[in-house]
Amino acid sequence: MQVQERPWQTLVGVGIVLLLLPLAFHMKAARFAPFLELSTWRFLFLGLLLTLEASVIAILGSIPLALFFALARHSGPFWLRYPVIVLVEGIRALPLLGLMFYLFLRLSALGRALGLAAVTRPDAAVIVALWLYTGAVNGEALRAAILSLPRGQWEAARSLGLTYGQAMRLVILPQAFRRALPPLVAQFATLVKDTSLGAIIGFIELYRRGVIIFQGERNPMETLYVVSVIYFFINYALGRLVDILERRLGFRRG
Amino acid sequence: MSTADVWHYLLLGLWTTLRLSLASMGVALALGTLIGVLRVSPVPPLRWFAAGYVEFFRDIPLLPVLVFVYSGLPKAGIRLPTSFDSAVAGLGVYTAAFVAEVVRAGLQSVHKGQIEAALSLGMSFFQMIRLVVLPQAFRMMIPPLGTVFIALVKNTSIASAIAVEELLYQAEFVIGRTFADWPMLIAFLLYLVITVPLSGLVNFLERRLRILF
Repeated sequence: MQVQERPWQTLVGVGIVLLLLPLAFHMKAARFAPFLELSTWRFLFLGLLLTLEASVIAILGSIPLALFFALARHSGPFWLRYPVIVLVEGIRALPLLGLMFYLFLRLSALGRALGLAAVTRPDAAVIVALWLYTGAVNGEALRAAILSLPRGQWEAARSLGLTYGQAMRLVILPQAFRRALPPLVAQFATLVKDTSLGAIIGFIELYRRGVIIFQGERNPMETLYVVSVIYFFINYALGRLVDILERRLGFRRG
Repeated sequence: MSTADVWHYLLLGLWTTLRLSLASMGVALALGTLIGVLRVSPVPPLRWFAAGYVEFFRDIPLLPVLVFVYSGLPKAGIRLPTSFDSAVAGLGVYTAAFVAEVVRAGLQSVHKGQIEAALSLGMSFFQMIRLVVLPQAFRMMIPPLGTVFIALVKNTSIASAIAVEELLYQAEFVIGRTFADWPMLIAFLLYLVITVPLSGLVNFLERRLRILF
């Protein structure tokens, strides 16, 4: 049962889905009228920039955090390893929206106490929550990459007289980062989707701007359809990038 | 609001979270299995549709899907009785895409000879899938389905945005009344009580299956 669809076949399928949705739910052409105006698209585009900005900050910031988590868990002393395991597993087992909401409460209290307006804003809570969550997930991806390297790499490095730290830094980590690159890009796609949760605590990103449009125009189906298609295109492109990276870096079955 | 009241609301929320998770998983399993089977069907347009369904829902956030069902469908004359039902529909349709991927991988793991044998016995495509392939594929599918279920339990928290009174909604409600933020920590603990044993179980089953095959 070999069923790996070609990209154009999957895209035809997405086309069928995108055609069936308006037909099944009697979407009205007239209700798509706001999307004929440039100002609507400009409004959405600014939201998309915020979505991408939060995602980029979270993914870049998550790399040092992931490195810390992975190293602490892989070879840290016990007093560091166990707290990190509890923290990483805990963060991954909690709903991201709950984490965001809690951080929003704590950070806005902290920001008021310190007199820092920037910290009280939902943007800060959204980015910190995404950063922590992505750090935990990427930390595990990096640790898996370190563990997936053949033992011979360690043995060769150590027998050349490198210390543990040198072996890790010069031999293991460069290879592990290569292996962790495709999951990192996949995690970026997840971030783009997860940023929409920030809308609930008041981050005016892409999805929230869609809500603002449909509350004015009273066309929730049509607007959410358009917004979802925007998310689809971004993440579809990122997915193909993951495919290319996996093929280029040479760890894929086909 | 006393401490006992806080616990009362949170436990009510936990109960709704559990019901929502199970009901949505039911919808996702039914729909996801159908789509997963379509992905290996002999009819190309059905295969493409199924692949497109999976790709589309995996690439968009859950929140617009839930709000589409909750605020959008009534405009099309489709009124679900409660917001809980809207959440079940939205979560079910969304999670079905992830279930379908698991089902497809499971179906593909069954040896080709099994399929040839079933077809040469004169079974139709759907008989072959139902009687020969799915029963064998099912055991391979259990651990990844567990992973999908854990993600679903966490995703039910997003239903708080469409006024489903699940755990996160109740935690926010209680915090709004008490101005204390410890109830959120209790809510976290209650989420962990569900998700941590589940992921332990998934790990255990994965190890078991690796030995068996």
